[in-house]
Amino acid sequence: MISLYRPGNSPLHRLPAGPKLLVVMAAALGISLTPPSPALLAGAAVAVTGAYLLAGLGAAEPARQAWRLRWLVLVVAVSQVFFLPALTVVANVVRVVVVILLANLITLTTPTGLLVDAIERALTPLRPLGVNPSRVALMLSMTITTIPVIAGFAAQIREAQRARGVPVAPLAFAVPLLIMTMKHADDLADALTARGID
Amino acid sequence: MREIELTAVTVEFPGRVALRDLSVRLDQQRIAVIGANGSGKSTFARTLNGLVTPTSGEVRVHGVDAVRHARQLRRRVGFVFSNPDTQIIMPTVAEDVAFSLRGRGLSRAEIRERVADALARVGLTEYAEAPAHTLSGGQKQLLALCAVLIGEPSLVVADEPTAYLDAANSRRIARFLLDEMPQQLVLATHDLRLAARCEVALRFEDGRLVDHGDPGPVIARYERDQDQ
Ligand SMILES: Nc1ncnc2c1ncn2[C@@H]1O[C@H](COP(=O)(O)OP(=O)(O)O)[C@@H](O)[C@H]1O
Ligand SMILES: [Mg+2]
Repeated sequence: MISLYRPGNSPLHRLPAGPKLLVVMAAALGISLTPPSPALLAGAAVAVTGAYLLAGLGAAEPARQAWRLRWLVLVVAVSQVFFLPALTVVANVVRVVVVILLANLITLTTPTGLLVDAIERALTPLRPLGVNPSRVALMLSMTITTIPVIAGFAAQIREAQRARGVPVAPLAFAVPLLIMTMKHADDLADALTARGID
Repeated sequence: MREIELTAVTVEFPGRVALRDLSVRLDQQRIAVIGANGSGKSTFARTLNGLVTPTSGEVRVHGVDAVRHARQLRRRVGFVFSNPDTQIIMPTVAEDVAFSLRGRGLSRAEIRERVADALARVGLTEYAEAPAHTLSGGQKQLLALCAVLIGEPSLVVADEPTAYLDAANSRRIARFLLDEMPQQLVLATHDLRLAARCEVALRFEDGRLVDHGDPGPVIARYERDQDQ
């Protein structure tokens, strides 16, 4: 789900991370509160596609991402279809997809470091409540760093099991993945300490 | 002053003594640490920047007490681990190098400039904006080294830094550590050819320092004992 930054020079790339986050959050809020009218929903979809075009990512990119969300769409739709009117279900699906596309638009046009900095700044007023913004920012960054590493572990385990011709059982997959991830966390803690963070 | 001094250092883990009553003084530029798996090489290396706290005894590195001032010591001692994948903290190459400079009160421009210099030194300039996980193993280890060197440590401790690398990348890392880097080096390694390029070698066995001195003879005795 986390699509990494694609360098570029579009107006969206040049917009500072903080204001961009605010605008996109406002847009996401707006679309969530939109009444389920076909015209408004179509308008939202067109607007998002327009934003992707503005960012120089092409009209195919939002379509690709929406396709990647097909399972989520299915879950959202199926879980509601028996209880809600069809138009409301469609509206909810469009809302979820549009909000995720907007979030991805931020990560695609903002270097991760700047994004994390903006979040850190946004959290600063919460300091009196015991929130440590730089810790939160560090954790966010490390999470982003770690996701591909864990994905790599998963691929290794799948390969090892295939190589031995074992049918992949969920438990035989989850246990080694958990062990590798915990070992990784342990090593990473050492690296953090060695680099002056305790 | 670049003296490393251990006095009667013992490190115990539950049910296991990893280092026994070690006393040694070292002031050479390049110090090799050899010995079988489990002999105590990593434990020794880790005491030098306070990653491991001795059960008893005293560790002083360049005049700093490694137990009482571990935090201060870590600014002066850089540590390179074996596994290139577990040393990367930040998502992109440049961000990971810049991470070593946090909390030093440098301006953004200054940080950017230093990061660019440091990346150039290890030949990673073109990867500055790349996600770190897309680098090869050898490049990741160069990144780890770069992240250590940018902090301008006076001692670099490397614990089997070439263990995960192919021959070409091992040579590159070794050349950097042994020939190009001005810092004092403690190098724990299974690669006896690298140990031979140091000024002094320490050999551990079962947590004890059993031999040390000129690397040539120390390595020769180690190989002879292994053959028996
Ligand atoms: N954190 C730890 N907990 C328990 N035992 C440990 C720990 N670290 C090292 N040991 C034990 O201490 C001994 C020396 O380990 P180590 O210094 O890693 O050896 P080497 O690096 O030479 O392979 C080994 O028997 C190892 O199992
Ligand atoms: Mg070791």
